[in-house]
Amino acid sequence: MPDGQTAVARVQEAFPQAVMQVGSVQGVPMLRLHKQDVPAVARYIHTDPQVLGSLSLLWAVDHRPREARYEICYLFTLAERKDWLLLSVDLAGDEREFASITPVVHAAKWYEREIRDLFGLIPVGHPDMRRLVRHEHWPKGSHPLKKDFVWDQLLERVQGEYAYRKMHGEGVFEIPVGPIHAGIIEAGHFRLSVAGEPILQLEVRHFWKHRGVEKLFEQQRLTEAVPLAERVSGDTSVGHSVAYCQAVETLLGMTVPPRARYLRSLFLELERLHNHIGDVGAICNDTAYALAHAHCGRMKEQLMQLNDRLTGSRFLRGVNMVGGVSRDLSGVQLSQIDAELHAIEQEFAGIEKILFANASLTERLESTGVLSEGIAWDHAVMGVVGRASGIDRDLRRDRPFAAYHECQPTVAVYRYGDVRARMRVRLDEVHDSIRLIHALHRQLPMGPLTTQSVEAPTPGQWAISAVEGWRGEILYVVMAAEEGRIHRCKVRDPSFVHWPAIQWAALGNIVPDFPLINKSFNLSYAGNDL
Amino acid sequence: MFRIIKKSLATGVVTGQFPAAKALSEPVSREAIDKAKPFRRSLTIREVDTGSCNACEMEMNALANPVYDVERFGVEIAASPRHTDALVVTGPVTVNMERPLKDVYKQTADPKLVIALGDCAIHCGVFKGSYAVTGPVERHIPVDVRIAGCPPRPTEILAVLEALRSAATESEK
Ligand code: SF4
Repeated sequence: MPDGQTAVARVQEAFPQAVMQVGSVQGVPMLRLHKQDVPAVARYIHTDPQVLGSLSLLWAVDHRPREARYEICYLFTLAERKDWLLLSVDLAGDEREFASITPVVHAAKWYEREIRDLFGLIPVGHPDMRRLVRHEHWPKGSHPLKKDFVWDQLLERVQGEYAYRKMHGEGVFEIPVGPIHAGIIEAGHFRLSVAGEPILQLEVRHFWKHRGVEKLFEQQRLTEAVPLAERVSGDTSVGHSVAYCQAVETLLGMTVPPRARYLRSLFLELERLHNHIGDVGAICNDTAYALAHAHCGRMKEQLMQLNDRLTGSRFLRGVNMVGGVSRDLSGVQLSQIDAELHAIEQEFAGIEKILFANASLTERLESTGVLSEGIAWDHAVMGVVGRASGIDRDLRRDRPFAAYHECQPTVAVYRYGDVRARMRVRLDEVHDSIRLIHALHRQLPMGPLTTQSVEAPTPGQWAISAVEGWRGEILYVVMAAEEGRIHRCKVRDPSFVHWPAIQWAALGNIVPDFPLINKSFNLSYAGNDL
Repeated sequence: MFRIIKKSLATGVVTGQFPAAKALSEPVSREAIDKAKPFRRSLTIREVDTGSCNACEMEMNALANPVYDVERFGVEIAASPRHTDALVVTGPVTVNMERPLKDVYKQTADPKLVIALGDCAIHCGVFKGSYAVTGPVERHIPVDVRIAGCPPRPTEILAVLEALRSAATESEK
C-alpha cells in the first residue's frame, strides 16, 4: 500500500492532464487540479484498490479580499498507512459552480450541501440540492461565510418549507420527532417512515442549533479563540480546544513543551472516561436497565467532581491555551487521580460482569442498529462508531499528537456494528484510558507548561490539525489573516460524519429501538450544527 | 442476582455526596418565589435547548443521577410542555430555534415559570452578536429566574430550585 507520495505519483500517472501543480502543506502532499477533473480523480482515490482513500474533510475558503477566488479542498485518509492526501481546486473571479463528487464519493454529501449554503457555490451534479444549514426561512442569497456577509447582521424571515423525502404505500406512516425532545436532549429533528413497527426510512433534519461558530472564529484573534473552541461541543471541550490550539501552534511555529503535551493527553483521556462511562449507563437506561444507569451515573459524577477539583471546571474548561496548558497538576493531585481511577476501574469491571450476565439486556443490544462495514466505509465513518463496524482507525495511533507517541493506546475494534459492539468499544476504551492515565502519570516529564510564539504567520498561511476526541476524529483547519487574526476556521466534529450514517443503521429496526440506536452513537448536535 | 445485591450493599447511599454550592450570583427574586407558590413542593420541568453547547444539558441531566437525585425534592422532568410548571431554557436562541421556543412557551399551561439556565441563555455568552443568534431568551419570552455560569454546576441549579420551593414551605408555616 502506498504512502502519500506514491499515491501522488499514481494519480499523476493515471491523470496526467488533471494535475496542475504538486505541492505540500505541513508535509501533506497536495495536488491542485483542473476543476472538471475532480470527480474522476476523487473516484480513483476512493476506489482504486492500490490507494483506497476515505474522504476525511471537504471545505471551502473565500480568499477575498486578498485574492478574488474561492478554493475547495479535499482531504483523503489513505486506507493502509493512514497517510493524508490533499486535493484542491480554484474557482476564480465570479465562478460559482464546481463539480460534485457525491455521486462517486458518498461521504461528500453533506459537505457539499454545507458549502452551497455557507458560500453560495453550487455543486453541479449533486443528487440532493435541498438546503442543509440554512433553514427555509433564511432569505435567498444569505451565505454567511462569504467575506462580504456582515457577521452581526439581522436576517429577515421569509416563507418556505423543507421537503422531506416521502414514502408512499399502504399503511406507511410518518413519525416526526423533535426539534424539542421528551428528555433532556439537544435540539434536532428526526422523521421516521414506518409500516407497523419497522423503520422504512429515517431522515435526519438538523442545524437547528447553528450558531455561526465558523464566522465567529473569523472575528477573533488566533491566540484568543480557545474559549470559543471549547464551546463548539461542550462535552468535548478538551478535544476541540486541543485541536484548535495545535493548528494555531503550527501556524505560529510553536513547539509545545513535553509536560504540556502529556497533560493534554491526560485531560483528553479524563474527558473520554467520563463520557464513555456516562454513555454505557445511558445505553442501559434505554433498555430500561436502571441499575447500571444509576451506577454509571454515579461514577460519571465522581469523575466530573474530580475534574472540578483538579481544574476548577467539571468539563475541564480553561486548561488549554495556545502554546501549552494553563494548569499544572501537583504530585498530590496526580496520586489522587491514580487512587480514584483505580477504585473506579474495579467498580466498573464489576458492573461489566453484571451487564453481560443479564441476557435480557444483551439480547436487546445484539443485532440492533447494525452499521455494516461497507456502509461505514462509504460514509467515511471513524471513531467509536467506526471501530465498532470494523474500521480500524484511531488518530492516537495513526497520527500521534500530544503525548501519544510515547504512550500508545490499544485500539479496540469490533466487527458486528451493532449497539453491543459500540458499547463494547466503549467498555474496552474505559479500561485503556485508565491504563493510559496511569502511564502518562508515571512518565510525566518536568518542565515548563507553555512556550512563546516565534514567528508571525503570513496572511493566507494555513494549518490542519487532527485530534482523536472521545467520539472520533476532530479536525480543524485554521487560516491566518492580517495582524494575527483568523481568516478561516473550518471545524469538523465527528458527529457531522456520523449523522448521515445513523440513517442507515436505523433501517429495518423497530421504532422503540431507535432511541437506543441513537444513544449508542451518541452524537453531538451542537458540534454538527456549528 | 447475588452479585447485584452485593454491589448495592457495597456501594451504599451516595446521595448528597457533593460539595456545597457557592453563593448564587443572582438571588432568586421575590416575584419568582411568589410565582412558584401554586406549585407547592413539586415542580415539573421541561428543558428546552435553543442552541446550547450541550454542557448545560449535561448538568441538568446530572441532577437526575443518584448523587443529586433531584426527584427527592419534588422536581420532575416532564416529556411535554403541557405537563410543565417551569421551562428551563438553555442556549442563546438561534434563528432556527426562535420559532420552536415561542411555540413551546405558548403550549405551556399557565401559571408558568421560565428559568434561563447558563450564560448563553442570559446574555448569549460567546455567541453574542452572531447573525445566527437572536437571543437572549428574554428577548423572546419573559424570564423569571436566571442561573448564571458556563455551565452552572448542578449544586448551583439545585440551590435555585430549593429557593423556589421555599415559597411553599413559608406559606405552610
Ligand atoms: S452557558 Fe456555557 S455551558 Fe451553557 S450552553 Fe452556553 S456555552 Fe455551553
